[in-house]
Amino acid sequence: MSGATVPMALGVPRSDRVGAIAYFARRNPRMILGGALVLVWLFLAVFAPWVAPYDPIKVNVTDALLPPSRTHLVGTDDLGRDVLSRIIWGSRVSLSVGLISVSIGFFVGVSIGLAAGYLGGTFDLLVMRVIDALLAFPALVLAIAITAALGPQIQNAMIAIGIVAIPAYARLTRGQVLAVRAREFIVAARTIGSSPLRIVLRHIFPNVLNALIVQATLSTAFAILAEAALSFLGLGPQPPYPSWGQDVAYSQRYLANLKWWMSVGPGVAIFTAVFAFNFLGDALRDALDPRLRRSA
Amino acid sequence: MITYVLRRLLLMIPVAFLVTVGVFALVRLSPADPALAFAGEERDPAMLAAIRKDMGLDQPIPVQYVAWLTHVVQGDLGRSFQTKQRVVEAIFERIPATLELGAAALLISVTLAVSVGIVSAIKRNSVVDLAASGVTLAGVSFPNFFLGILLILLFAYVIPGHIFPPGGYVPITQDLGDNLRRLVLPAVTLATASLAVNLRQVRSSLLDVFGHDYMRTARAKGLRERTVISRHALKNALIPVVTLIGIQIGAIIEGAFITETIFLWPGIGRLAVTAIPSGDYPVVQGVVLVSAFSFMLTTLFVDVLYAWIDPRISYGNATG
Amino acid sequence: MRSARYLVALLGSFAVLLAACTGGQTPAGGGTTASPAAGKPVAGGTITFALEADVSNLDPMLSSLFVDRNIHYAMYDSLVRVTPKGEIIPWLADKWTYGDEGKSVTFNLRKDVKFHDGTTFDAESVKWNIERYKTGPLSARTGDLGSVDTVTVVDASTVKFNLKSAFAPLLGALVDRAGMMVSKAVQTAMGADFTLKPFKAGTGPFILTEAVKSDHYTLEKNPNWWGTDAAGNKLPYLDKIVVRPILDPDVALTNLRTGNAQVINRVTGKDVPVVQADTTLTYQQVGSFSWDSLIPNETPGFVFSEKRYVKAVAMALDREELNKNGPAQGVGLAGWGPISPAHFAYDPNFKPWPKADPEGAKKLVTEVGKGPLKFELLIVSGSPPALQYAQLLQSQLAKADITADIKTQLFNDIVTLQQQKKHTGMTNIGWSGRLDPDGNAYDFVVTGKPNNDSGYSNAKVDELMNQQRAESDPAKRKTLLQQAQQIFVVDDPSRVWLSFGVSPLATVKSLVGLEPYPDRIPRFQTGWLQK
Repeated sequence: MSGATVPMALGVPRSDRVGAIAYFARRNPRMILGGALVLVWLFLAVFAPWVAPYDPIKVNVTDALLPPSRTHLVGTDDLGRDVLSRIIWGSRVSLSVGLISVSIGFFVGVSIGLAAGYLGGTFDLLVMRVIDALLAFPALVLAIAITAALGPQIQNAMIAIGIVAIPAYARLTRGQVLAVRAREFIVAARTIGSSPLRIVLRHIFPNVLNALIVQATLSTAFAILAEAALSFLGLGPQPPYPSWGQDVAYSQRYLANLKWWMSVGPGVAIFTAVFAFNFLGDALRDALDPRLRRSA
Repeated sequence: MITYVLRRLLLMIPVAFLVTVGVFALVRLSPADPALAFAGEERDPAMLAAIRKDMGLDQPIPVQYVAWLTHVVQGDLGRSFQTKQRVVEAIFERIPATLELGAAALLISVTLAVSVGIVSAIKRNSVVDLAASGVTLAGVSFPNFFLGILLILLFAYVIPGHIFPPGGYVPITQDLGDNLRRLVLPAVTLATASLAVNLRQVRSSLLDVFGHDYMRTARAKGLRERTVISRHALKNALIPVVTLIGIQIGAIIEGAFITETIFLWPGIGRLAVTAIPSGDYPVVQGVVLVSAFSFMLTTLFVDVLYAWIDPRISYGNATG
Repeated sequence: MRSARYLVALLGSFAVLLAACTGGQTPAGGGTTASPAAGKPVAGGTITFALEADVSNLDPMLSSLFVDRNIHYAMYDSLVRVTPKGEIIPWLADKWTYGDEGKSVTFNLRKDVKFHDGTTFDAESVKWNIERYKTGPLSARTGDLGSVDTVTVVDASTVKFNLKSAFAPLLGALVDRAGMMVSKAVQTAMGADFTLKPFKAGTGPFILTEAVKSDHYTLEKNPNWWGTDAAGNKLPYLDKIVVRPILDPDVALTNLRTGNAQVINRVTGKDVPVVQADTTLTYQQVGSFSWDSLIPNETPGFVFSEKRYVKAVAMALDREELNKNGPAQGVGLAGWGPISPAHFAYDPNFKPWPKADPEGAKKLVTEVGKGPLKFELLIVSGSPPALQYAQLLQSQLAKADITADIKTQLFNDIVTLQQQKKHTGMTNIGWSGRLDPDGNAYDFVVTGKPNNDSGYSNAKVDELMNQQRAESDPAKRKTLLQQAQQIFVVDDPSRVWLSFGVSPLATVKSLVGLEPYPDRIPRFQTGWLQK
């Protein structure tokens, strides 16, 4: 979600956005920390096969339940698999669920918001009731219900988390569209006969982009958390491919035997990944969206 | 004001309808055969056919929906496939446990958020303020279930004396002391997630109020700082706290699913989570429906309350 | 028992067989003579039984879950019962005789039996009950009584079952719910509520007097029960049993250890050493009827329609290692077929692959000549023990170059897929077990039967399995069953059996006189509390 891939915007020129971020980053160590952590996890996910010291799924019962040591930095699990390697490989699942489900929510939500705001009328009324219905469920409960219905698979978890994310984007976009629709440059564009699609894409969309970027970063954090929670309840990706939430749940029964590393390792991984995106999102909000900037 | 409430209620009707369609459809999406869940280990084909007929599974989906909705409207959520208990009854039985946990979590979270929030807003950049922002930052990102597991590890296993049990529930009526002892870890777990959000909200709304004109006026009048804060700032700043409590209801219902599962707390969340794998749809449907409706109603209630407290809100333009 | 939890319990508790039963003379009240160390039985006292889940149907007609039977056995009597060793003994029926070349059975009934509501138990009661089980709405007993054509009352204490064809396993079914006698007066009066509140509906040693859903059930002593102990004293000894559903195994165990419960009959593998080491508790276990298996889909178009692949999987597995390093944690018993050590037809020498044979498996796969074997292994989601077990299976198969891709699904989705024969590879689902070996095998291997989830069909197996059903001589039945087992396990494998379960019984030290039964259900009439 870097500014480089963003289309031209009328309200805020691209160079300005990049400039704002760069300027802000210099004065704001939060963004550097958040961004750096995000990059670290992205790096680990992409280069997992080279970074991980062991095969994350190979069973080796003679090495089961070893505490952390120099050979296994975070110990081994009950099937003798290296916990650190499972954490590193697990980042692939967490980050891809995060990114893909956010993309689903983003594209569906933004399209709905743009269409509803621009077209208005009955369409708006109907679509927004559906959005309200989605909002009537506590987010995680809805994600659990959808995944349970579709079956516990990674694609279904992505779809479920994506659906849950739709209302935020739809409402945000629709609100912005309503706000700018009456402004002079839109009215002007209409009078000179620009097509509705062109108006929406060229003039309206760029105006909401800043808020959307912030929302996307924050909802990636939510998505990673939600995926972990679904996996924890047994509704996540398929074993034996490592998933953080699943590994925490898997190790719960060894707590009484004090095999803490099996739970703590993946738990810390979830925390740092979610933290990274939340931190970055907060910093971006302050940088890009001055109206939301709190007196801090 | 009354028109505002009526308007909101009217808007709820289509939403409520869509929610019921959603809940019904969700369950029918599943490939599993409910008759098999009902039949347990018995597989006699004649018996399975009789069950399908009895459940109306041979009817077209819309007919099944209408039949289901008719029952729901009359307060009948069907019977559990597994325990054959009426779902309404099962939910009512477990609601006290969920409410107890939720109320305890709410109490911890709001008390801490308000007291710490005030201190950190007044004494900006003090140790308390920095610690509070640390908690805020970490709290939003800390997975609920991981916190629960860490607490179990520490208090039930690592720290000598095993201060708190790793899970389980004892009814208040049976043993109050034991009930409270078992309540501590899950309540703290559930409270932490919302504490972060609350803390941030209290602090920033106080800071917001500090910047307002009437505060300056009050100070200019020579009122003591303490009076200014308690009489003017706090009153205005606490308005958003009402909203907070509303937001908590969602967090508590969500948290119930996870926290109750970890701590073996027999509330409605755990009821649903254990019903999912066995395909006990009436139970899953019932719990999801009940949580959606209680969430909707509390949101409405809080909005109305907020509008009533805060005169700046104009009802006319408010939309759902 | 139909839940992921069942699987957990099954995986987590396997049998080192203890010769728990001493044999000897069986008194009318069931059970064997109390161990001399316990002293002379004294009457009185209340105990709490922590049950693993809430009961769903107390009406034997509707019941389809294991948990229900734990209460049924205390409040109802059935026509016949069984010893811990699996021998069928007289109960409401004094004796029985076969006629018409096995096509009819005549039962002579006890004359001193009354239902708890005061009505008399007689031949008419038997006829009414059996007909209700056969034709009642949503009856789950139709399968058990499928062989019964009609029931005729000969006189007040004699009743004759006319069968469609000779059916040896019938008596085994009459031990359980299909043979349990319910008061017609109570059932008629209660109507739809009967299954949740069948107060005073049985003839058994205890009377159900209270049923608070998911909280507790109260069973009080039936002072007029007909059973006696070896010394001729009236049974039962205990005044009251409170049954409390406690879903979590750890919580149930804690209740037992703190004295809030006196009996549990579920102990997971990891807890067995803990319970055995606790000097305030008595732990007993006996091999059970239950088994665990991998179920291939052998219908045309699926990988395992090639039986040599099924055999290769069966050969590649090291069952002893699965038992030792899996969730059972060494408390268990490897198994190769469905007939368990608790069955009369068990063959202790039936170990077709005593050790893993990865080389043999590789050879079979090469022989098929379609490249390496790769399949989907479907297990229940949300169960860490099931997952651990599957990953062990996976690693063992890998040594024979067989790739098992583990996939998790909700329990009920898997059961549905199996019924529709749509699972692509294998699934891992267990069976809670039946008293008669027929109930552990017939429906799983005979062509087109309801539990034949692998879609297996073998004419010789069908023939042998039908023959044993008609054979009344146990020795001949045993031979027929073992012949069939050799075919459906080894020669033309229907599925891959892995292990047998164990039935644990843990009580506080002061509660004596209870014995573990292979079906895991406590028989409370012989239990008493030491003063």
